[in-house]
Amino acid sequence: MSGLLPKLWRQSEVGLVRRIRQSLIGPGASQSRWTGTRLLATSADKNPAPGLRELPHCNVGTIGHVDHGKTTLTAAITKIQSQKGLAEYLSYDQIDRAPEEKARGITINACHIGYSTTERTYAHTDCPGHADYIKNMISGASQMDGAILVVAATDGQMPQTREHLLLAKQVGIQRIIVFINKADLVDQEVLELVEIEMREMLSDFGFDGVNSPVICGSALLALRDDKSEFGVPSIEKLLEQCDSYIPTPQRDIVSPFILPIDNAFTVPGRGTVVVGTIKRGTIPRNADADLLGFNQNLKTSISDIQIFRKSVPQAQAGENVGALLRGIKISAVERGMLLCATGSEDISNHFEGSMYLLSRAEGGRVKPMLSKYIQQLFSQTWNVPARIDIVPSEAMLMPGEHGQVRVTLLRKMVMTPGQAFTIRENGATVATGMVTQRLRSLDLPKNKLSKVLVDC
Amino acid sequence: MLFQRIFTRALHSTRQLYAGSGGSGGLEKSALAALRKKTGYTFANCKKALEKHNNDVGLAEKWLHEQAQTLGWSKATKVADRATAQGLIGVLIRGNRGAMVELNCETDFVARNDTFKRFVDHVARMCLHYTDLTDFDGDLWKLGFDSDALRNLRTEEGRTLGDHLALLIGAIGENATIRRALCFKANNDLRLVGYAHPAPTNVGSTEGITQVGKYGAIVAYRSTHTLLDFEFHKSICQQIVGMKPTKIGEYDKDKPAENKDDETCLIHQEYLLDADKTVGEVLQEYNCEIVDYHRFECGEQTERSLEAIIRSQHQSSN
Repeated sequence: MSGLLPKLWRQSEVGLVRRIRQSLIGPGASQSRWTGTRLLATSADKNPAPGLRELPHCNVGTIGHVDHGKTTLTAAITKIQSQKGLAEYLSYDQIDRAPEEKARGITINACHIGYSTTERTYAHTDCPGHADYIKNMISGASQMDGAILVVAATDGQMPQTREHLLLAKQVGIQRIIVFINKADLVDQEVLELVEIEMREMLSDFGFDGVNSPVICGSALLALRDDKSEFGVPSIEKLLEQCDSYIPTPQRDIVSPFILPIDNAFTVPGRGTVVVGTIKRGTIPRNADADLLGFNQNLKTSISDIQIFRKSVPQAQAGENVGALLRGIKISAVERGMLLCATGSEDISNHFEGSMYLLSRAEGGRVKPMLSKYIQQLFSQTWNVPARIDIVPSEAMLMPGEHGQVRVTLLRKMVMTPGQAFTIRENGATVATGMVTQRLRSLDLPKNKLSKVLVDC
Repeated sequence: MLFQRIFTRALHSTRQLYAGSGGSGGLEKSALAALRKKTGYTFANCKKALEKHNNDVGLAEKWLHEQAQTLGWSKATKVADRATAQGLIGVLIRGNRGAMVELNCETDFVARNDTFKRFVDHVARMCLHYTDLTDFDGDLWKLGFDSDALRNLRTEEGRTLGDHLALLIGAIGENATIRRALCFKANNDLRLVGYAHPAPTNVGSTEGITQVGKYGAIVAYRSTHTLLDFEFHKSICQQIVGMKPTKIGEYDKDKPAENKDDETCLIHQEYLLDADKTVGEVLQEYNCEIVDYHRFECGEQTERSLEAIIRSQHQSSN
């Protein structure tokens, strides 16, 4: 047993170790273990201000027509929250950074802005185009938990509002808040009509048109510190609705557990210990588990779980643990394998996903990609040779484009929906993608990827 | 009053608005909703139209249609200096004639919208119609249009494409431009094939249908095969779109480049669908000779100025 602990210590970050030591020495020593694990679960460095560390986090984005005031709204939010000390004020010009954009008054680059309310911290994404949002989603730069759809009361919805809502569906947004901007320029009846029109449209696209909050206001008035109904109060109302309507993303602790393995070692006299951070679910001690990956599917059970120095009865998603496996030889475990609840996941060599091919300017390929493309695929801590087929199979992907693909791996692995992967070629990343579905394994004739028949 | 009530009700679906409001305020509101739903013009304009015509939906609608052109032009003037980096290429082939057009807009949301795609189709058809009017009996005739020439092109009902463009700008509220167009007319044994990338998933014949995408290519070829191999010709277009050759190349004059990834001669390039062969070998296999081709990429810097294309419009191959 004594051998296990020092090695577990070595797994952890030095900074975290120091922090846990401090908490052990400090007055709160009695609850030290859980403080320690909390610190592990939420990486402290990412939060904007030290005082806000404990607030839950949420990602939102703005979508809407170029002239309807997305950037003004974002500027107004930061201004109002900065007066409460919850954000740093960014003016319209600062958000609309690049010089050639100022001349045109529209946002071109994706921009990420942080602010907070008394309830939560927010990361706010604003992209100019459909392709940017898709890139964001595939590369996992920022997943959006909800969106603010900005529409000007003077215009109402535009033909391309359809495309905005289709995009929201495509990137998996479920909750939308409508902000009717420029409300001070029209009268009450027009506002009502715009609201009805937007609610109908939301329902048409499968969103909850009846219960989605609709807020009328004027970002410009708010930015000028106007205290009338459409000014500052409307922005405050919008943020209140963000707090209450868009749910905080929860760590999934209910589903069958998944533990991707970062490392493994032998404890003399005890057996094999695997180390990793639990991605999903809760692991109880003595749970039956499958050890999967690299063509292997081994049955085992977990005879002990440790979080740092303490042996614990169970461990939850987000916690970095060491798990002692019954009846597994160290030679059978490889980095990149995955430990999961018995029967909950399976290995396969065939998956469906969406993929973005990097443009030449981003360091990607010059040539287009066609089906039967074979290179190394990297995901989490492992890499195996993989073949990419584009759907439909005769299609071609140009650098800078995204599309649906079938991935065939040389060795059977576990990949769960949402799992990110990248493809590298001659030492450079050329594509990045996300798994959407596990498909049935394909035969590999003579163990050669080029000989596989992929039907798509 | 009763008649009007039924009429209004038939026009729009937001019945709850109308229900219970017998007064003139309610009527006005539903008239505005109906007008907006029917015409799609902005709320501000619909309201103005109703105020002008004493809430008569019919008259207001007529007025809106009349105003649309002026409003479109004023919007177009207002947004004229905004850059248009996104857009679509439209490729239309009908028999021995083909047209390839490029239209630009500000965001790719608009480029994905059906209204915009229909307009690309409209412009491509106009260009093709113009090609029809020209008599030519050589082998291959090419005509390039620049932005100004296209805007002044007359449509059947007497308006110009510029008027139509202004209407589109009025509807989508974004700047849009018709950047360039290229028309092909092939005679004798020459044939044309076109391709726009990315192609829709369920493609049959593309004859007479405007294909739209971010890239486009039209190829003029001569082949001894009487049967048309659509997939093969599409793959040649794909090759041109994907590998961006700068010229066709001649077998006895042009030598293959040392690094095959830098090859700019079409016939010496690696064939995309089968890396073991060059395009030249595949063409010989299919008894096919490429006579001319042209490639459009949405938003690209034009290397060859359009004047050069226009000047070479009467260039015909032997």
